[in-house]
Amino acid sequence: MDTKKSEVLQGTLDLMILKTLQALGPLHGFGIARRIEQVSRDVLQLNEGTVYTSLLRLQQQGWIASEWGTSENNRKAKFYSITKRGQRQLQVEAENWERISDVIGRVLKLEAEK
Amino acid sequence: MSTRRESKLRTFAAKVLGLVRGHRHDGEFEAEIQEHLQMLAEKFVAQGMSRAEAAAAARRQFGNVTLLQEDHRELQTLVWFGALWEDMRFAFRTLRKSPGFAAVAVLTLALGIGANTAVFSVVHGVLLRPLAYQKPNQLYLLQVVWSQMTKFYPMIPANYAGYQIWRKQCHSFEDIAIAEGTSADLTGSGEPVEIHGVRGAANLFTLLGTSPALGRDFFPTEDESGQGRVVILTNKFWRGYFHADSTVLGRAITLDGVPFTIVGVLPASFHFPAQLGQLTSFGRQIDFFEPLNGPRDEDQDLIGEFDFAALGRLRTGVSPGQALAELNVIQAQIAREAAKMDTGVDLKAAIIPLESEVVGAARRGLILLLAAVGVVLLIVCVNLANMMLSRIPGRMREAAIRTALGATRWQLFRRMLTESLLLGVLGGALGVWLGSLGVVWLVQIAPPGLPRLDEVHMDSRVLWFAVLLSLLTSILSGILPAWRASKGDVQGALKTGGAGAGESQGSRRLREALIGIEVGMSTALLVIAGLLTSSLFHLLRVNPGFATERVLTVDVDLPPQSYSEPSVRLHFYNALLDRLRGLPGVRAAGWVNRLPLEGEGNVTGLDVPPGGPAHVPANFRAASPDYFSAVGIRLLHGRIFSESDRGRKVVLVSESAAQRFWPGQNPIGRTCLTFWGGKEEDEVIGVVDDVRTVKLDAAPVMMVYVPDWFGGRGFRVPQSAGIAVRTDGDERSVGASVREAVHAEDSEVPIVAMRSTSEMVSESVAPRRFQMLMAVLFAGSALLLASLGIYGVIAYSVEQRRRELGIRSALGAQVSNLHRMILRQGMTPVAAGLVAGLGGSLVIGRLIGSLLFGVKAADPVTMSTVALLVTLVAVLACFIPSRRASRVDPMVALRYE
Repeated sequence: MDTKKSEVLQGTLDLMILKTLQALGPLHGFGIARRIEQVSRDVLQLNEGTVYTSLLRLQQQGWIASEWGTSENNRKAKFYSITKRGQRQLQVEAENWERISDVIGRVLKLEAEK
Repeated sequence: MSTRRESKLRTFAAKVLGLVRGHRHDGEFEAEIQEHLQMLAEKFVAQGMSRAEAAAAARRQFGNVTLLQEDHRELQTLVWFGALWEDMRFAFRTLRKSPGFAAVAVLTLALGIGANTAVFSVVHGVLLRPLAYQKPNQLYLLQVVWSQMTKFYPMIPANYAGYQIWRKQCHSFEDIAIAEGTSADLTGSGEPVEIHGVRGAANLFTLLGTSPALGRDFFPTEDESGQGRVVILTNKFWRGYFHADSTVLGRAITLDGVPFTIVGVLPASFHFPAQLGQLTSFGRQIDFFEPLNGPRDEDQDLIGEFDFAALGRLRTGVSPGQALAELNVIQAQIAREAAKMDTGVDLKAAIIPLESEVVGAARRGLILLLAAVGVVLLIVCVNLANMMLSRIPGRMREAAIRTALGATRWQLFRRMLTESLLLGVLGGALGVWLGSLGVVWLVQIAPPGLPRLDEVHMDSRVLWFAVLLSLLTSILSGILPAWRASKGDVQGALKTGGAGAGESQGSRRLREALIGIEVGMSTALLVIAGLLTSSLFHLLRVNPGFATERVLTVDVDLPPQSYSEPSVRLHFYNALLDRLRGLPGVRAAGWVNRLPLEGEGNVTGLDVPPGGPAHVPANFRAASPDYFSAVGIRLLHGRIFSESDRGRKVVLVSESAAQRFWPGQNPIGRTCLTFWGGKEEDEVIGVVDDVRTVKLDAAPVMMVYVPDWFGGRGFRVPQSAGIAVRTDGDERSVGASVREAVHAEDSEVPIVAMRSTSEMVSESVAPRRFQMLMAVLFAGSALLLASLGIYGVIAYSVEQRRRELGIRSALGAQVSNLHRMILRQGMTPVAAGLVAGLGGSLVIGRLIGSLLFGVKAADPVTMSTVALLVTLVAVLACFIPSRRASRVDPMVALRYE
């Protein structure tokens, strides 16, 4: 069990899902997976099942809500949408992410100069 | 920070919710996954894959579905809850496999918890629950301190005139009310009944913060003369006598021949104390309340008739000290005023919190009881811990296999603790049920003097106590065995095959230490029980001053309307006594206004010599000449007054009075000035033996006996009297004919009570008997439990050492050698515990010194008896398994494994 690795991944996945839902509005799990695939341009190899674990966790935190609806090809599907609390959380996390990636980026650059 | 805690909370809430509706969600999730897989496959088909390829690729890209579902479920439910449930089920199965152990454990726990719950209910009802009045801690009992009397009565009740002045002038109290006990003959329907009540100020209920459940409270005007012909009934009396008929309001009832209007019924939750202060009692059952209805003749005097309990509600922000200071200033004014009319008096006041006044005396006994029953529960815990410890070696193999398979120490610990938790839950449930039976039983056998007994019942707080107790006992008894079990040696256990492994040295020491503790606690309890028993026996051997055999007493109460004239009352008593003396088997009969052991009363001043410097209070009793021979009070000097003295001012004094007033002199022929109803100079013509007036363990009070013609106006022929009948044989055999005689004389006269003097003595020691009974019961159970513990340890150790014993006897050890060896092993912790217990009992004995009578805390007889008893029981508990050990056939023992 490489819990540490999966947790980092999950945290990132949470952020990606929140951002996706904010940008595109209500989506079902399949749609979310497609969007992430599209954006990551095959850089990120993703087990699509983990999207659902992430969705459940986000739901338990009250950051997203879900509702049964009909998909574009007339199938019953669960649609997820970001809540107000989720919007706030996204802002906090996004700022966090940028700060950290900025720091890491600078640190890595430093390493390269030596 | 706060968001993290919040989000944890949210997750937890979602999980709890998931626990409830988990399965429905599983289905939805399944559908969602299938949908996703299908869409993914369709996408691949569109990209040119075959259907089969697409489905496989979709599954690959999606990841492990089963793992996902498990993760999903774990996220949604509380894992530890499942684990706890699993442990519980396992514990249940384990216990079911050894029903004997489980039954003994649950039963002893249930008895321990039940007894504790029952005793706690009583303690809670009597001591801990606040008085059912509004803001009870503001309520105080106000008493008078009359410095000339403090030697005899540190405090006396308030009087009517003083109360009026206090209420007007004392601003430290929001309000003050007074109350005194009264009784009346209720006539009108069928046989007359005597009912008991309280004559109290109209503001009494407002002061206590209660109001009638039906009807209205008294009006302030009803405290004035002639206005107060109204009564408020207690709920109990209303239910019992009027069958809870709500139309009684406005109806008239006849009390002592006078019509009173019922204006209200009190709520069932209202209770009035049975006793307030040393000299004011209201009785166990109060039927009605009546307002003051103005002062009576004897209430007019500024320093007359101190017989009211005064209750005050302290104003918020005023300290008791300030209130007392203010009262004392007022008391000094009253004393100055009184000095103008009488000899000098010095008055002060005292205030006592009502709460401590009501429960004060019962506190020590009840706390002792609670401590005793708590010790029994501790012994139950220790015993259970011991039993569980003894089961460990047998389960070492199981623990070893679990450990080998990867169970952590914490998991093993948890599993063992769950077992004791299950026992605790089962024992607790059974214990609560036993406790509810126990409460009923306790209330039945509790002494009548215990205050607030009618308020005792099991409520939610008692139940919480029981729940807490169950958890505590399970943890207390389970933690040691669980710890031992979880630190077992895996390899050793696996190698020796588990069951055969001997008990480790450490474990045995632990068990022996526990035995020592059990024995110590039982010993201390037994000593306390022994001291209380011995106190009771000493008390019953006290000479009460009257005969406790072949004397029947009858309390009669003459209806005031037909017996308002003293001469009519005297005629009734004389005729009744004549009738009684004529009965076969009756040797003598006489009356008195208050029988022995019925408490103090008619306490009034006495000057010796007449006109001397100070009033000394004494109890006054009016009696017929033959009362003394009838009840068996011995004449020590002089003679008893007789009919030939009629008209002469003569009195008898008790021995302690004679010694107080005429130390070393002959009191016969001396004179004293008495103030019972009026000043009178009397001649002492005889000295009689002291009698116990309040209870057996209270020193006799000074007593003055006067004849019916005392005071010259026949005032001293009492309205209610105790009639003593001396019989030749068993006093109970004449009961029916005595009752008939009273009825034959006047069928309107109610018999209030009929008891023999031995029953009166027995009633007066009821609180002690109760304490003793409880202590003996608990100490007995403790000893029984401890002996079970000893037996268990020795029997187990013999079982474990079967092979060793077999080898020893094969090598030539004598049976007596084996006996001695096992006995030594068993008795070492017992001896240690015995010494510790005896030492502890010395300390406890000193704490409960006030409950002892005639014995000291360090009573060598009691201690050696207990030591002998404990040793005997312990030897027996060791001997049974030891006998089994010595019978071990070496061949069988060696082949046993």
